[in-house]
Amino acid sequence: MTATQASAAATAEPILELDDLAVVFTTESARVPAVRGVSLHVRPGETLALVGESGSGKSTVALAAMGLLAGNARVTGRAVIDGTDIVAADEARLAALRGRTVSMVFQEPATALDPLTRIGKQIAEVIRNHRDVSARDAADQAVDLLRRVGIPEPEKRAAAYPFQLSGGQRQRVVIAMAIANDPALLIADEPTTALDVTVQAEILDLLRRLAAETGTGVLLVTHNMGVVADFADRVAVMYHGRIVETGPVEDVLLRPSHDYTRRLLAAVPRLSVAEADRPAPDREPAPEGASGSATDVAPVVELRGVSVVFGRGRRAVRALDDVSLAVRPGETLGLVGESGSGKSTAARVALGLITPTSGTVSLFGADLARTRSRARRALRSGIGVVLQDPVASLDARMTVGECVAEPLRVHRRELSAQDRRGRVEAVLDRVRLPRDIVRRAPGELSGGQRQRVSLARALVLEPRLLVADEPTSALDVSVQESVLEVITELQDELGFACLFVSHDLAVVQHFARRVAVMRAGRIEEQGPTGTTLLHPETGYTRRLLAAVPVPDPVVQRGRRAERLATLAAGRTEGEA
Amino acid sequence: MSTPSYLIRRVLQAVAVILIVTIVVFGLLHALPGGPARGILGPQATAQQIARFNHEQGLDKPLPVQYLYYLNQLLHGDLGTSYTLNAPVARLIGERLPKTLVLTVLSAVIGLLLAIPLGMWQAVRRNKPVDYVITTLSFIAYSTPVYFLGLILVLLFSQVLPWFPSQAPQGDTLAQVFSDPQALVLPVVAGAASMVAVFSRYMRAATLENLSEDYVRTARAGGSRPRAILRRHVFRNSLTPVVAMLGYYVPVLFGGALVVEQLFNYPGMGLLFWTAAQASDYPVLLGCVLVIAVATVVGTLLADIVQRIIDPRVKAGRS
Amino acid sequence: MSTVIQPAETPGTAGAPRETSGARLAVRRFLRNRLAVAGLCVVAFFVLFCFVGPLVYSTDQTHTALQQVNLSPSGAHWLGTDAVGHDELGRLMYGGKVSLIVGLAAGVLATVIGTLWGAAAGYAGGWIDAVMMRIVDAGIAIPALFILLVVSAITTPGLGGLILILGLVSWLVPSRLIRAETLTLKNRDYVLTLRAIGGTHARAILRHILPNSVSTVIVATTFQIADAILLVAYVSYLGLGVQPPATDWGGMLSAGLTAAYSGYWWLIVPPGLAIILVVWAFNAIGDGLRDAFDVRGRG
Repeated sequence: MTATQASAAATAEPILELDDLAVVFTTESARVPAVRGVSLHVRPGETLALVGESGSGKSTVALAAMGLLAGNARVTGRAVIDGTDIVAADEARLAALRGRTVSMVFQEPATALDPLTRIGKQIAEVIRNHRDVSARDAADQAVDLLRRVGIPEPEKRAAAYPFQLSGGQRQRVVIAMAIANDPALLIADEPTTALDVTVQAEILDLLRRLAAETGTGVLLVTHNMGVVADFADRVAVMYHGRIVETGPVEDVLLRPSHDYTRRLLAAVPRLSVAEADRPAPDREPAPEGASGSATDVAPVVELRGVSVVFGRGRRAVRALDDVSLAVRPGETLGLVGESGSGKSTAARVALGLITPTSGTVSLFGADLARTRSRARRALRSGIGVVLQDPVASLDARMTVGECVAEPLRVHRRELSAQDRRGRVEAVLDRVRLPRDIVRRAPGELSGGQRQRVSLARALVLEPRLLVADEPTSALDVSVQESVLEVITELQDELGFACLFVSHDLAVVQHFARRVAVMRAGRIEEQGPTGTTLLHPETGYTRRLLAAVPVPDPVVQRGRRAERLATLAAGRTEGEA
Repeated sequence: MSTPSYLIRRVLQAVAVILIVTIVVFGLLHALPGGPARGILGPQATAQQIARFNHEQGLDKPLPVQYLYYLNQLLHGDLGTSYTLNAPVARLIGERLPKTLVLTVLSAVIGLLLAIPLGMWQAVRRNKPVDYVITTLSFIAYSTPVYFLGLILVLLFSQVLPWFPSQAPQGDTLAQVFSDPQALVLPVVAGAASMVAVFSRYMRAATLENLSEDYVRTARAGGSRPRAILRRHVFRNSLTPVVAMLGYYVPVLFGGALVVEQLFNYPGMGLLFWTAAQASDYPVLLGCVLVIAVATVVGTLLADIVQRIIDPRVKAGRS
Repeated sequence: MSTVIQPAETPGTAGAPRETSGARLAVRRFLRNRLAVAGLCVVAFFVLFCFVGPLVYSTDQTHTALQQVNLSPSGAHWLGTDAVGHDELGRLMYGGKVSLIVGLAAGVLATVIGTLWGAAAGYAGGWIDAVMMRIVDAGIAIPALFILLVVSAITTPGLGGLILILGLVSWLVPSRLIRAETLTLKNRDYVLTLRAIGGTHARAILRHILPNSVSTVIVATTFQIADAILLVAYVSYLGLGVQPPATDWGGMLSAGLTAAYSGYWWLIVPPGLAIILVVWAFNAIGDGLRDAFDVRGRG
């Protein structure tokens, strides 16, 4: 926003004012305080970002401001929207306010819409909740709203069911419902967290445009510092249910005053970007000795011309299309791509969990399709696996010790119980977990601890290859940092190769030596991380990189302008 | 998946199921004491008659060949002949099946009309006294053997309070059955009771699940009132899984009809089956089993198709 | 309505160890379900009544006593006597023993068969699964009562035979449940991880899939026992039950049906109530267990 707008906003009456808000949940086992003493305000036309890690209470604040908390929540303090205290208001008063004065956009577009009602009708419902218009007029207005949020062919799409739309389009529909009655305040709870990074950029652009058009105040709840830098005017940082720091976005992100904010920002992986004026380095010969020597060594795992087709006939889906990649001893190959790009499928093919429709997979020099099952099992003792979901990765009915010892029970059956215990304790030391954790149940551990247990299980056989499929995606950034640190250290020490699947370009840039970018089942390009992610050859990778928001409001403003300019140029080119 | 190819696959599945049922029925026929000849000719047949029958019917041939003969007979609509009623089984069933259908369909419709609102009401008032009372009542209704329930109904509403006749309407045609609607009340109530119990539980569970879905929160955030959300969104979403269960409930309904018809002396297929069992009239017994199995398979097929109509996701194969 | 809508964010600080273990939480949830606890008490009462009762209240249930038939309840016969002079209260204990034993055994047998069949189909997948589930569909298409009536026209089984027949006609529903459970479990990350590092199918099934299906199986067994006890009651009505002088609650009930019109209410109300109470109790327990374990099953 411009300086004059900003000063106007600073003097206007706040549209949302929280005063000493506190929320306590009564659960089966205890009363849990989730939010304590939170005070903040949002003025018309400004965006306040409420940031924090999971469990910080930021979403609880957002729901409390809508009066949408579950019945087991006890709210105290005041949450005033346009003169009405939400905490004290009855359900009828709240219903009159919601969707009219204040609206909300949620995290999960997949489940936020009624699956059995056409989207036009769902938007019309919000209109008719608050305005006395005929069903026909409401339907027409719904079509206009769909056009405003950028849904192509809105007349036709109004009759679609939510499942017929992509995740990004569904989120646009949720936004259309939220702005249907020109609310004074929009609360957006992690509105782009479930979306791919290119879609995230589009949705943020849309929200910014709509808020600017109508002077709507926005309360943006997010864990993503890049999104904050891209979108917010002011920031409030939450930690353990309290606000620890509030201020303009430049101050908080560039000159944080609170210790927690500093630690949080330090843990955020930053995408290194090429300076626009610096030319790409000459890429004729391999730039470093390391990558040069790597090509001579036989790969630990290699996919050659692998295609995977799921289903048959007209419903067949080509999940992988002629994919070739190799991971050599000691190196890390990062496999990046958006959802549906086939990166996880490729990892599963490497693990032998999916048999390719065509092409070959060789593991430690042996063709997987030609080895007998016994020999194949022996080969697999050289693999370690860490998967994304910290909860589903460990069998809840086993103790941590049993989980970690399982590979030993499969491949080292000759070991005595004592030897087994010794090895389990040694590997727990390596992943920096206390030894007495062996008797605990996975359910008692935090997400970060569980992923370290998974890592210990993956490393207990001292494998030659570690396959990690989004191992830190479900973790907070500070926890992600420590888990990645442990993997890097152990890789230096044990020398295993690593196939690292991730959607996070910044993480891959820091963690992997080589990278393969996937899109729609194909490998778009691959090469050393330093060149491919700084000076990409394909337009797709460039767009992907441009869409990643960086946690520096000044740099991000420039990147956004550049990206929009490129898009506009592309559009006029296309039209010409 | 497109509708025609879905239908083809579903019908092929149904045919496979019916084939398996014919194998079971054929197996039962051969498990009879004295074999199928005794079963078909009846207990009075002499050893000579049986030997001649075996030869004529090809019963001295290998089993697979016999099974093919049997299938061929079925395909020509020949379910055998009842030796107690001395009539083709197909005709006997054809006369009585419509009456049984009237009874079961009435019970099912009335049962559902009660169960669905009850289940929703319970879900909205979860863990309140109303919920406990209806839960307890439906468990009691589910736990009561139909014949005991029927007896209690007759004692209360026919003997103590002479409101309804204790016998179902008698008569050979549907018109005669419908001419005496009073007499239908007790049999239909007895048949509907467990239906109400089971489906109110399903509806309660489905509604509870939907009430905690995100889309309910979205609707509330848009200013929709709880009642409107229930009516416009939760109701339809909760109904889909319940419709899917209906298909599997068809055999239970027929099982109930067996007891209800016997108890109220209603001349449908259940009573036919019952008297045939008393007289060991195997052709009738096995014919009925086959017809009911086919009815069930068709019922499940219909439930699937109805589900495709009300839930667009199923049609797209993304349910 | 707001009371049934779940909070969006798990409250509390991430990383804090949970204070209660899963098992203890399940027990506590179960005990808080008043209907389920009532069910447990009812079952306990009837087990004591049928198995310990006869030691305290001993009656002759083998010889007929034609001089004292159809007596109404009195000090000598608390629940009166039946059509051949047996003491009705003693008979209720004696018949209950048969109903409970047959119901429990048949329910457990049905669940065992169903579990093995469903787990095999679900884990094998592909065409094996398709064939096995079509067989289940075929079984479900034939109502159990009709099969039982056909069997009763052919033969009169003993106690063991009765259990076997009941088990064989009622394993289909649990097999579908367990198959669905197996399908989910075999794609859990920890099973995929095990397979990726070369673990055997046997290990996946024995160490992960079966232990994790235990709660589903327990819940299914409880409902199955309820259904089996109900089915035992039908079986006697269909004429397939245990033969006199032995009896069960269903036999007592169907024997008393005609007597009811003569006003001999004590011949049908006690066995009828006993059946309803016990079946209700097992259903309530199953319902409570399902909520406590948080598993899906029938509504």
